Amino acid sequence: MTQPNQLTPEQIIQSFQDAFPANITDTRIEKRTNGVMKTEANFLWMTLDKSIFKEAVKHLFTFDAFPHFAVSSGYDLGDTIELIYHFSLYHGERARELSLNMKVALPKANPSIETITDLIPGALISEQEKQEMLGVKILGIPKDTRVFIADDIPSGVYPWRRDETGPAKLIRNLHEGDP
Amino acid sequence: MKFTMLPRVLAQMVKKPFTNTFPRKYIPSSTTHYLADVQQKKTTMTPPVATPDRFRGKIQYDREKCTGCQLCLNVCPSEAIVFKPEEKKIKIYLARCTFCSQCNDICPVNCLSMSQEFLLAGTDKYSKDLIVE
Amino acid sequence: MSTTGKTTYEIPIGPIHPALKEPVMFEFEIDGERIVDVNIRLGHVHRGIEWAGTRRNPIQILYLAERICGICSYCHPMSFALAVEHTASIQVPERADYLRVIHAELERICSHTLWAGVAAHEIGFDTVLYVTWQVREKGMDLIEYLTGNRITKGITMIGGVRRDITEEMIPKIKETLQYFKANVEKLRHIILDDKTFKLRCQNCGVLTKNDALRLCSVGPTARASGIRKDVRLDQPYFAYGDLDFDYITPDVLTGEVHGDVYDRIIVRLLEISQSIDLIEQCLDRMPQGAIVAEPKIAKLLENLKKVTGEGIGRMEAPRGEVFHYVKLTGNDAPYFWKVRAPTYNNILPWIPMLLGQQIADIPIVASSTDPCMSCTNRVTIIQDTSRHQLDKEQLHQLSIEKTRRLQT
Repeated sequence: MTQPNQLTPEQIIQSFQDAFPANITDTRIEKRTNGVMKTEANFLWMTLDKSIFKEAVKHLFTFDAFPHFAVSSGYDLGDTIELIYHFSLYHGERARELSLNMKVALPKANPSIETITDLIPGALISEQEKQEMLGVKILGIPKDTRVFIADDIPSGVYPWRRDETGPAKLIRNLHEGDP
Repeated sequence: MKFTMLPRVLAQMVKKPFTNTFPRKYIPSSTTHYLADVQQKKTTMTPPVATPDRFRGKIQYDREKCTGCQLCLNVCPSEAIVFKPEEKKIKIYLARCTFCSQCNDICPVNCLSMSQEFLLAGTDKYSKDLIVE
Repeated sequence: MSTTGKTTYEIPIGPIHPALKEPVMFEFEIDGERIVDVNIRLGHVHRGIEWAGTRRNPIQILYLAERICGICSYCHPMSFALAVEHTASIQVPERADYLRVIHAELERICSHTLWAGVAAHEIGFDTVLYVTWQVREKGMDLIEYLTGNRITKGITMIGGVRRDITEEMIPKIKETLQYFKANVEKLRHIILDDKTFKLRCQNCGVLTKNDALRLCSVGPTARASGIRKDVRLDQPYFAYGDLDFDYITPDVLTGEVHGDVYDRIIVRLLEISQSIDLIEQCLDRMPQGAIVAEPKIAKLLENLKKVTGEGIGRMEAPRGEVFHYVKLTGNDAPYFWKVRAPTYNNILPWIPMLLGQQIADIPIVASSTDPCMSCTNRVTIIQDTSRHQLDKEQLHQLSIEKTRRLQT
């Protein structure tokens, strides 16, 4: 299934910068080589502003009719929570796939972001995970339930956070009783 | 063809089974009596399938060669190695060991190696044969 | 959830279930014998592994990652190693790339033969279970010979592998590959040509191409719906860029794509043959050289302590794409580690697959996506005011009875 107008990594970054001037920062393209023939694998990174996040995800559809969403990672940096959405484009042909990673920083005072499940339904589980692990509020999520954490863990405790809402009180170090 | 497995099933009826009947073909009425009989050579036990050369079994420790550098403590994934500061030697708890042999690889004087022994089950996790020092 | 009124009733299935190898909680709404709606809840074996990873150094994390899953115990540490190598810009030697491919394909063969046995067991064919697992034992023996253990192989090292394949090991590998070749043909005939397998599996649990793409499914589940998605070919890692192979979709064998359970069986059995071929290509082409980028492990740990950055490792496990993300900030332990096992992307497709099926089809449809999960326990059926309990044997029995009904 060749897509007739597959762009190079540089063209993709340029297209984003043209569509959202001044809201895309800190872009880079990394290449890794493997094997004897040194086949290349491309990884694109960019940092977006929260305000254009949903539009940027829609912009992905101009490159590939079905972008693949792998997972979203998120970590606590003190004052902000940074989410990274990992996508990949152009599957179906040998050595043509690109990994595209979008970073969004959310202020801890109001960590909310829009859902992308109306564009990519497969993102549901990952978004539910961010809600329960980091306390991020996903606006418009179709199913607002816990997915990985048991029901008896109190709400308000966010296991991935490194501040006072972290899991420190819930940890039991079982090995400390050993001789 | 409706029953594609049938020829194979019929052939198996005359062939030797694939399973190795370790330790015995049928379960004994009393396990402790059976083990006592084996010890006194009144009956034999089918041996287990032989382990290959570089199988990772129980860890062996050469005290003389050990220099007390503590590199093995850093890489043990389950913190099964404990340092004895007054002697500058180590103590390994097999109850926590994951048999990964990472400590073997990092030791600069090669005092650790893995044996072929794997029948280590017991009821007391701190018994003498589960602590290597 | 109950939008269809009083004629339907709800069944919760799980959290521990016969067809799966890990606990998952389903809630089905059924009308008669047909499934009308599905709700899924996960998290019953959540062990806090990503959090544990933030308190260990990268070498210890390799062994922690190995124990995330027993069957994919090679992919998780390898993806983590790929992610760390990406972050620290470590170039892996060429011989190590080929060795890694050999171990990955061996694991794929063992995993797919195990799955074939489990799928046959769900339908009621225990004899096929024993035959496939007997074939798999030879694979396990070979893995034990090459790495020292059957499951938790411990062969991964950041920058390469821990053990080499020497000249004297090669005859044993070739002998096992011959054994596989002889038996995989027989297995294919037993499974794919059997009339009952066809009756049970064709047009059952269909996943359309559109659904599969929008729900981001991965692995053989996606390929059986006709999507050409395979990380080994899309974004080659290890030595796959040098090898000669292609995507496997059901039309390679039958010429058509239906996206049902039968197609998934076809894809997995063809992948076993593909793996045998890949191992042979590797043995022919493997270059000489070092097997690891930095043999002194203490020095490797020192170097990793100074690295800052982030990296991604993606691999094609037997079940689909495994994804690891690592962020290093110049400490002993990583700042953040994200693991995404392939089954989490393949769970949402269960919903369109199960709608309209019968209860007795639940085990075979659920296990056709090869969920990486561990089994047993009860199913509770709530029927208005009375409660019935179905345990594992009874649900399995329902599945077997349906097979018997189809055979008469």
